[in-house]
Amino acid sequence: MGLFDRFKSQRERKVVLIGLDGTPYTLLRQYSADGTMPNLARIAEAGSLRQMDVSIPEVSSTSWTCFYTGSNPAQHGIYGFLDVQPNSYKIYFPNSRNVKAPAVWDILGNHGKRSVVINVPETYPAKPLNGVLISGFVATDIKKATYPPELLPTLSELQYRLDPDATKARESKEVFLEDIFDVFEKRQRTILHLFEQEKWSLFIGTVTETDRLHHFMWDAATDAQHKYHDAFREFYRRVDKLLGEVYDRLPAETTFMMCSDHGFTKIEQQVYLNYWLKSQGYLSFTSEQPRSIEEIAPGSRAFALDPTRIYINLKGKYPQGVVEPGAEYEQLRREIADGLLSLEHNGHKVLQRVFMKEEVFHGPLMEQAPDLIVLSNYGFDIKGAVNKQVLMDTEIFTGMHTQDDAHFFISRKGLSERKPHICDIAPTILKELGVAVPAGMAGTPLLNYE
Amino acid sequence: MQKGFTLWFTGLSGAGKTTLAHMVETELRKRNYKVEVLDGDVVRTNLSKGLGFSKEDRDTNIRRIGFVCHLLSRNGVVAISAAISPYRAIRDEVRAQIGDFVEVYVRCPLEVVAARDVKGLYAKAMAGEIPAFTGVSDPYEEPLNPEIVVDSSTQTKEESYAVIISRLEELGYILKPETEVYSEDEEEEVKRRLEELGYL
Repeated sequence: MGLFDRFKSQRERKVVLIGLDGTPYTLLRQYSADGTMPNLARIAEAGSLRQMDVSIPEVSSTSWTCFYTGSNPAQHGIYGFLDVQPNSYKIYFPNSRNVKAPAVWDILGNHGKRSVVINVPETYPAKPLNGVLISGFVATDIKKATYPPELLPTLSELQYRLDPDATKARESKEVFLEDIFDVFEKRQRTILHLFEQEKWSLFIGTVTETDRLHHFMWDAATDAQHKYHDAFREFYRRVDKLLGEVYDRLPAETTFMMCSDHGFTKIEQQVYLNYWLKSQGYLSFTSEQPRSIEEIAPGSRAFALDPTRIYINLKGKYPQGVVEPGAEYEQLRREIADGLLSLEHNGHKVLQRVFMKEEVFHGPLMEQAPDLIVLSNYGFDIKGAVNKQVLMDTEIFTGMHTQDDAHFFISRKGLSERKPHICDIAPTILKELGVAVPAGMAGTPLLNYE
Repeated sequence: MQKGFTLWFTGLSGAGKTTLAHMVETELRKRNYKVEVLDGDVVRTNLSKGLGFSKEDRDTNIRRIGFVCHLLSRNGVVAISAAISPYRAIRDEVRAQIGDFVEVYVRCPLEVVAARDVKGLYAKAMAGEIPAFTGVSDPYEEPLNPEIVVDSSTQTKEESYAVIISRLEELGYILKPETEVYSEDEEEEVKRRLEELGYL
């Protein structure tokens, strides 16, 4: 291809990405081999389907933000679904306005390229962009979740739903499954409608019903005797149908991508970090039945936030901070890390690693980063609940997130040998569309674009 | 990158354009926007140094300011212009070039600005010492459809500033501060949904 042709082709190039929240690489490989997902099988043949690492912590709000900014949590500022306000123990719920790094669609917009973005978590409320955006989890109000507002009547006609109703999982699995299938059908309808009707250079359609299904019914995926094993596979057959519909309608010169924000595996035990901190004397609360970390008692030296984050109660940083920065801080971090690493259950180590913040976070927003972050072994779902009376137990959930078994697909061969990271996707999208990757982005493109 | 736009103040000398421009600038910086102010008096000491007040020179001055605003806006900056910009056609020309353009008419009757005479210029102009002075011996063409109108003869600067910020939020050019994203009910709903999925 000559220089002019390559330039022209890059100018007209498009990218489509289908996101499947929580869908593991290993599950997709299994389903494309066993006939559950024949469209994926043929799509994968023509490109590169790879296992991918995601953010630490491996929670959707952090991971999807890494995806759409190509940046590290210490650059974009989203460390979890909840956080504490500066100089306070007061909890707040980070939203799109707390994201401090530019979204890939904003960068594209500044180059005159239009984007359609559907249901990406941590984009609520919808911010103006060059294109169309419908926010994902934790969107609560469709009006605030939609840009431009002129799209609202269309979404109403399509009966678009923001999210399944997870309370149904506690009523009945059948009712829950019906709801999952219903939301997915309406999501698919909307994705295909906007795919056809809108002009775009970047089209992102994300399915989050996968994650809801996995949290409550992961055992149905792994147990062939499970009552809902077939229903689980049927759901993925429908996901496969969506993949096929989108892939077969791709305009010329379009790169097709897929990704998830984490994988899933079976829960053996939920493990409560705040219970452990209390039992070791690092933490106490002002009430017997605390409802949040806001009830932390004076003298506490550390607390945890969901899922895997530990904060040292530093003097000068928190209103009742007691730990001196410097030697005391470092010694306490080491002590807590060593204690956590020794945790076992039935002869199995609970944790794979305990990271110091500077090992995983790099950027201007280090101040608000957790001081320690744990990475568990498969089977141990780490939680930040404050009111537990035991170190470990199980609840209604049967599936937990994994950090190292997400998936990434691109309809190209020649992917870099290194394992992709979720931060690499935004720079890859930019390069596919002929836009320079801004300096300082944590991720790097996954193909050689020289 | 946040979406840039141009906020174009227009009105007679002494109406309050510079004051309001800097109040808006301060607030937008607090909200983490990148902002630049091109003040007419300042621009005439650098970018438009040497230009006079003939129609041709005024038009050139406004076109230069508009050009810079365009460059800034398309790179995610909120460009605030505070210059008299007396001619409607030239303002409209700049608007057409920039696209994301919000015109703020700072209305104030001539007799009020002349009485204020904050820079001592109206007295000189009325005495004939300054020729081609807008409002006195040179025209000012009011905007016909500005996005925002404030009146510094009937509003305090705080009231005018509040109108501007509120309208920019309504028009979707700027976002409300982070703490106002969730109402109390919404926050409860967010909590409930996170609890349902085991995140709290």
